[in-house]
Amino acid sequence: MRVALFTTCLAEALAPRSLQATVLVLEHFGVTPEVPAEQTCCGQPLLSNGLPEEAATLARRMCVIFRAFDAVVTPSGSCCAIVRERFADLFVHGSDDHRDALALAARTFELVEFLETQLRVAVPTTSAPSPECDPSMTCHDACHLRGIHRHGCTAPFLTAFGCRDVRPLPDMAQCCGFGGMFSTQFPEVSSALGQEKLAHVATTGASTLVVSDTGCGAHLAGLAHRQRADNNSAAAFRIISPAEALAHRLGLLAMESIA
Amino acid sequence: MNELIAPTLPYDMMPRARAAIADVHLQQFVGRATHLKDEQRKSVFGADFGHDDYELLRSVAATTKQQALDQLDVLLEQFIERAQAHGSIVHAAVDAAQACAIALSIAAQHEAKYAVKATRCVKSKSMLTEEIGLVDALTRAGIETVETDLGEFILQIDNDAPSHIVTPMIHKDRAAAARSFVRVLGSRYTEDPEELTAIARAHMRGLYRHAHIGVSGANFLLAEEGTAVICTNEGNFDLSVGGPPVHIMFVGIEKLLRGARDLAPFLKLLARSGTGQPLTVYTSFVNGPRRAGESNGPKELHIVLVDAGRTGILGSSKRELLRCIRCGACLNACPVYRKVGGHSYGSVYSGPIGAVLTPELNRGAARAEGLANYPDLPRASSLCGACLEACPVKIDIPKFLLHARAELRTRTLSPASESRALRLWRWLAQRPMLFRLAIRASRLHARMLGQNDGRHAWISNAPGPAAGWTQSRDLGIASAQPFRAWFVQHAAERDAPPKEAAR
Ligand code: SF4
Repeated sequence: MRVALFTTCLAEALAPRSLQATVLVLEHFGVTPEVPAEQTCCGQPLLSNGLPEEAATLARRMCVIFRAFDAVVTPSGSCCAIVRERFADLFVHGSDDHRDALALAARTFELVEFLETQLRVAVPTTSAPSPECDPSMTCHDACHLRGIHRHGCTAPFLTAFGCRDVRPLPDMAQCCGFGGMFSTQFPEVSSALGQEKLAHVATTGASTLVVSDTGCGAHLAGLAHRQRADNNSAAAFRIISPAEALAHRLGLLAMESIA
Repeated sequence: MNELIAPTLPYDMMPRARAAIADVHLQQFVGRATHLKDEQRKSVFGADFGHDDYELLRSVAATTKQQALDQLDVLLEQFIERAQAHGSIVHAAVDAAQACAIALSIAAQHEAKYAVKATRCVKSKSMLTEEIGLVDALTRAGIETVETDLGEFILQIDNDAPSHIVTPMIHKDRAAAARSFVRVLGSRYTEDPEELTAIARAHMRGLYRHAHIGVSGANFLLAEEGTAVICTNEGNFDLSVGGPPVHIMFVGIEKLLRGARDLAPFLKLLARSGTGQPLTVYTSFVNGPRRAGESNGPKELHIVLVDAGRTGILGSSKRELLRCIRCGACLNACPVYRKVGGHSYGSVYSGPIGAVLTPELNRGAARAEGLANYPDLPRASSLCGACLEACPVKIDIPKFLLHARAELRTRTLSPASESRALRLWRWLAQRPMLFRLAIRASRLHARMLGQNDGRHAWISNAPGPAAGWTQSRDLGIASAQPFRAWFVQHAAERDAPPKEAAR
């Protein structure tokens, strides 16, 4: 099986560790991912901001770049959902492009989904290399995972995967307020939602927040950083991707301390 | 009309949205109530149907309503014929002005028929009457109209406006109601909900008896039976239709169903979606005016079928929007609505459905600019999809938000600087080498500007388009090695012959 890593532009720019973790976890389970060099951006910013034709040119590139692969895996929930849910509608129904987009959608998976539904990986038999590698966690899933019926699946998977202390996040269903360009167009609304999310995370007392989308993670991390700059006593926790949580648990990647 | 729901156009959403976020009371009331209703919705569907049957029910409802819309012309004719056979008088209004004019002409004939001039009207809750500005029109003609829904009544005496299609005073609390009752009705101060209801009831019973005209909306029209179906929780509809000699019902043409045989899924979904109740307390079926030998009901029943932009939507790619049964579930589920409240949408219809429906209704109305009048509405969404998940008739609101955003671009109604930046992004994204170079350069630049804590460079005061980001959050640029560089190294080690790797 040839598997490609769909890196996403945002993760390349902001979350290189999450991509490293994805590679390491896949390799751990016997999959050797390739990274097609020409991939750039899937077009989500264009699609979400009223430029569907421009988005279609990038979607077409994606179809070509990933054509030779049996599966396309990404740690970013939102970009995965865009490929799955919205790509096909960018093209005339019945056209070759439309068919290619549907085919790509059928082969594209978010990492946790890929491990759970495609590889059906087994729970690791060894315990975590050290207690720090299996911290208290709580999960916020990217809203776009709703569209591919994977919203709320990360926490149960981590628990089933042998993560010892995964705590329920109150009101997980509510958006964290990121929303791509929405975060800069309506910063007050976006931040108010993010602050509410952070407050819920703080009530869990978990040391680690697992967020299944790079953008949402960067938004929450940025808010938390500002909060602590303004108020030293604000709760501190690390924000990582599910890929990192898994890589830590398996001892493939060293856990970073809380800033 | 109240400026809150009928603002000066084009409407700028930002000032109200900012004010709402700064309003601690509003945050508390709206946040609490929407979360509660949203949880009740989920739990009642889970308990009564389970996931699969609920999904089936939604699909049935969505298809049934869409099919009704697809043959709306036939159903309208059928309804009119049957309703007339029951003795109802059916009117058609193309727009708000005509709908109001019809009401006024009915009122004008009152004196000739009943030997008394029509000056008092009781009205039960109806979003359409808000949409067409009926109360103002009646007031100008010297007819005093009293809202009989408790929430709407409180808003009326406060000169406020509904901020939610099902829970109109969601932005207020009981204490505010209590104060208004003291001020307007002269009652003693109490926050007890039962006492407040009793005070309102005592006040309204008299009004019902002395009203000349009753006004209401309807939730469904059954074409095969010529029947109107009205769902309420307070029973105020039944009083407004039972007391006054004349009743006028305003109904949007999208409310038609084939007949009673199609009604059940909607009754199962409506109250559960809106409030988590299995059914509204009252479900009234109105078959026409009082017949010979009957002891109550209006002598005249007028049904005003209102278009006001709806046929325009019906003939467009957005006809799915007309499936909406106004349950309010998408408002309760929406993170943005929860923060900015209903009045921020500058329309009778707020929240996700309001964001897509308001510009379309406006476009459908004569000479109206549609999106040009509401350029912020489709942008004020994080596209989280909670609305679609909550909608009992599966309206793909996120899809329509995307369509509206595309129209904003083509009509150059969204900022040109944004469009330029996005097009540049696309240009770069087609050139992988340049693209990566650009990402690297901006990372380097950011790391030079930012405060380095070893793991991230943090920027707290970004220029240009990123300023919106750093207004309230920092931007963290990871110091880790760029992924591609790491991967090249990693792959070389991984793919090296075992001997080499062991060395
Ligand atoms: S769009 Fe759907 S969820 Fe929203 S009010 Fe209408 S029917 Fe209810």
